[in-house]
Amino acid sequence: MMEGAAKAERGEVAQPSGWRPSIIAFCCNWCAYAGADLAGVNRRQYAPEVRVLRVMCSGRVSPGIILKAFTSGADGVMVLGCHPGDCHYRVGNVYAEKRVEQVRELLDLAGVDPSRLLLRWISASEGELFGRTMDEFVAHVRELGPLGGGIHAP
Amino acid sequence: MGSTPLDPRIEAFGANKCVDCGRCTYACPASQIGGDFSPRGIMEKMELTGKVPTNQDIWLCMTCRQCTQICQFGVSFHEVIREIRPELRRALPPEPNHGGASEALERLSAMASITPRKQRWMTPDLKLDDSSGTLLFVGCTPFFDVIFRYLRSDLLEIPRSSVRLLNAAGVSPRLLMDERCCGHDSYWLGDAELFERIARLNVEAVERLGINELVAFCPECMVTWKQIYPKVVGKLSFEVRSVSEVLAEALDEGRLQLRGSEETLTFQDPCRLGRYAGVYHAPRQLISSVGRLEDMPRSKEMAACCGNSSFINCGAQTRLWQLERIKEAAGTGASGLVTACPKCLIHMTCALNEGVQLVERVKMPLIDLHVLAGSALSKP
Repeated sequence: MMEGAAKAERGEVAQPSGWRPSIIAFCCNWCAYAGADLAGVNRRQYAPEVRVLRVMCSGRVSPGIILKAFTSGADGVMVLGCHPGDCHYRVGNVYAEKRVEQVRELLDLAGVDPSRLLLRWISASEGELFGRTMDEFVAHVRELGPLGGGIHAP
Repeated sequence: MGSTPLDPRIEAFGANKCVDCGRCTYACPASQIGGDFSPRGIMEKMELTGKVPTNQDIWLCMTCRQCTQICQFGVSFHEVIREIRPELRRALPPEPNHGGASEALERLSAMASITPRKQRWMTPDLKLDDSSGTLLFVGCTPFFDVIFRYLRSDLLEIPRSSVRLLNAAGVSPRLLMDERCCGHDSYWLGDAELFERIARLNVEAVERLGINELVAFCPECMVTWKQIYPKVVGKLSFEVRSVSEVLAEALDEGRLQLRGSEETLTFQDPCRLGRYAGVYHAPRQLISSVGRLEDMPRSKEMAACCGNSSFINCGAQTRLWQLERIKEAAGTGASGLVTACPKCLIHMTCALNEGVQLVERVKMPLIDLHVLAGSALSKP
């Protein structure tokens, strides 16, 4: 993925003309969302294709919601939570890890590259890591290309 | 009756023939589970107002077809419900269970640009033949294996056993490697557009193969291919049968031998296999050749629903209904309850694992028909 980011920066990645990925980032209120705030306060510029969705806990993000993001037009989905041991609700991020693993398996069977779903632990103090994660993931999804036009759920 | 003109759908499904006898409501699992759902009530309202009702209760129907089966006047109540749902869907969409995962997977499988890769359950002992005239349609079981692994870890044994049994009967089936979901749930949840898209993709892919017969172990897939696809995309150039029918035929012709035992077993007729497709005998023949079949009081045409359909509206009341059914099975003295539908198996296993603690402990091993028959094959 680092390589992808570097390539994108050098403009070496061929993309369908005019296409920009749609990316959803489910951010835990206590860690990753605060990390996003810190990135903003620090004026850290990052890829604008990401739409941040605040959730109270990464454990709140059910497999159905992740899959729905993909069927509603997302080309990539991120679930960003607190580092293990830091969860505001003790074990929400452990659930998140299990669920993301399950969805990756489902995506693989359904024929979607499982690397379109990313799970990362980002704390409130890691604004720089937040920005870097956004850049790298967007570059990676750019490289994979569009998912399939997006069939919007009613 | 008022002077308002009747909604044309009322006549189309024989609703004007209703005499308000209430047999449908008496037989309806959704009415017995609780809530305000009443087929008779809905019919009465339709007759009085001339309009088709649209409220959240319409989603409570499990589409088990018990109402239509028991009606003596030829009202197709389940079709009335199906006809109401597309309209209702826009204003009051159904509330999915399991976070809507199964619906989302259906949607993913309707994207033509995505090629599914779900046929990874095969084991080296299974004989497949890419030029075979028989196609085995696997359906969503590989997905269910991921979602419901916490309930049962043996769901993939269903497709494996099906292939093993077909092999033993002298059939090496082929598989559709990029097989999509059959779309059954979207059809019954009123998403006609999604269903049609899936149907076309599937029919196109299968027609290209030039097969004579499509077989499915999942009754929902079977009925969708056999009865619903022809309505939506036109007549198919091949036959559709359930794996159990193929195997029963092989038993009759002596191509398949199963080891018998003294074990008493009882059978949960899946609504799609029984009331929809009318296949009552084939699964019973399979069970009788591996054990002694003892039917439950409510069986065949009157079989009770497993309590859920299309993964919507599941709750504590559903569990009680399922528990009741499992107790009925235990009452026959059987040492195992056999089902022929992966969804019945999942719903009932869920009730046993999670619902039993609420009331009392009931023990009843649940077995899939194909896995049961597969385990009675003589080792080669």
